[in-house]
Amino acid sequence: MSALSPARNSTRDDGESEFLATSCGFTINTEEDFPEFTDHGDLLDIIDFDDLFSVAGDVLPDLEMDPEVLAGELSDHMNTSSTITTTSTGSQGETNKKGISGKGEEVISKRDLNETLVAETVVNYDRKRKHSSSGSTKNNRISSNEGKRKVKKVDWTPELHRRFVEAVEQLGLEKAVPSRILELMGVHCLTRHNVASHLQKYRSHRKHLLAREAEAANWTRKRHIYGLDSTGANANGRNKNGWLAPAPTIGFPTPPPAAVASPPVNHHHFRPLHVWGHPTVDPSVMPHVWPKHLPPPSTAMATPPFWLSDTSYWPRIHNGTTTYLPTVATRFRAPPVAGIPQALPPHHMVHNYKPDHGFGGPRSPVDLHPSKESVDAAIGDVLTRPWLPLPLGLKPPTVDGVITELHRHGVSQVPPAASCA
Amino acid sequence: MAGSSSASYIHMVQHMIEKCLIFHMSKEECVEALSKHANITPVITSTVWKELEKENKEFFKAYEERQSKQEQMSEEETNQMIQKIISDSSKDSDD
Repeated sequence: MSALSPARNSTRDDGESEFLATSCGFTINTEEDFPEFTDHGDLLDIIDFDDLFSVAGDVLPDLEMDPEVLAGELSDHMNTSSTITTTSTGSQGETNKKGISGKGEEVISKRDLNETLVAETVVNYDRKRKHSSSGSTKNNRISSNEGKRKVKKVDWTPELHRRFVEAVEQLGLEKAVPSRILELMGVHCLTRHNVASHLQKYRSHRKHLLAREAEAANWTRKRHIYGLDSTGANANGRNKNGWLAPAPTIGFPTPPPAAVASPPVNHHHFRPLHVWGHPTVDPSVMPHVWPKHLPPPSTAMATPPFWLSDTSYWPRIHNGTTTYLPTVATRFRAPPVAGIPQALPPHHMVHNYKPDHGFGGPRSPVDLHPSKESVDAAIGDVLTRPWLPLPLGLKPPTVDGVITELHRHGVSQVPPAASCA
Repeated sequence: MAGSSSASYIHMVQHMIEKCLIFHMSKEECVEALSKHANITPVITSTVWKELEKENKEFFKAYEERQSKQEQMSEEETNQMIQKIISDSSKDSDD
């Protein structure tokens, strides 16, 4: 609070507001909000930490907010804007080195302690990323700064994350602003800051997965094409009931990228509700998790972190693109076989066969039956991927009934120990 | 554990039978296919088939009807009929 300060203030304020106006596109009331910067005590008194932390310590928080978010929020929270000013003014360097720029340089904490911790979290930094440091520094803040800070480390539980995602998709990803998200979530133990950093993570995670998914979609599409060539269309041009044709392709070995069933179209192995901090289940483990009776694969994979079994969120985020991966297999098969008693009406069946006759295919005219390869493929499909849903979904017989019946026929062990046939 | 492995085995057999049903195979064909491609004991296949039939009477009834309708006109007859249609139409175009 030197005598100089007011004068410095005014010039600086002008400069800063200019800077802000140009860099961030808004103007700030400089008078109240920019007192002597050199005196952090005052500064901190003025800055409204309420929405950041419950403790107003003598430490300026690491404010990681991406510029666009910041712009949105600063209109609401003018007080926090005071932290932006520092990059342009070197005088703040020792106290308040916040680097927030349109280029997204990383946030530099103002303290050596913080800097150390920031360095520690470098692994979480993605310098190529547009946004500043990841939300994990929030944890650093908690641990780094003196124990005065009573901020609770936010554990993004599946439930919490789900609400977060709901809120984000309600707002629209582009418009999802932490303060609104917080409102929508209605969670009181979350600060806007927590939400902001989580949002960052979420966005970058999505971008990453989008790229992977695009690549996988191309891959599965190619497989589908090849699959159709080899098994879907028989030599005599007979394609086994249009809706069955893709089925043999699914008999192919599981494609690499986290895909369980590879439906021909719109293959998502996105895991939108997966919280990246949590351990995941390797999808290749899934076959062993196959429970007794035919759940859809998504349920079979429902280990705690991977709790997405409801596909309803994802399509909304994606503006109606198709469903999440595991259940696509279910859905893919379900429609053709829905209401199967109607699906196999006598006239319909006969019609399927008629066109094949007289076409002079390599098969003899009397051979009505499916080709061995197709049958083999279908049966092999059941053997290799037992978790797939039943194609017809007939009501299963009681296990006891079957076993009793088998005992009557002299079969004591199911499955039989000795090979048969 | 024997119980659940039986159950899953039976489920698997049911799954395979359903695949055969999609191919409109008869019970005998199904038994043969499962035995050949998956080493399923014929008696198991036929037992599971019968039990499925009990649980899904309407479905199998329609299924059988379809099968019998196919048999009404034998494959040869159908083939001949179609050949006739083709030759008739080509005759027409000649004229």
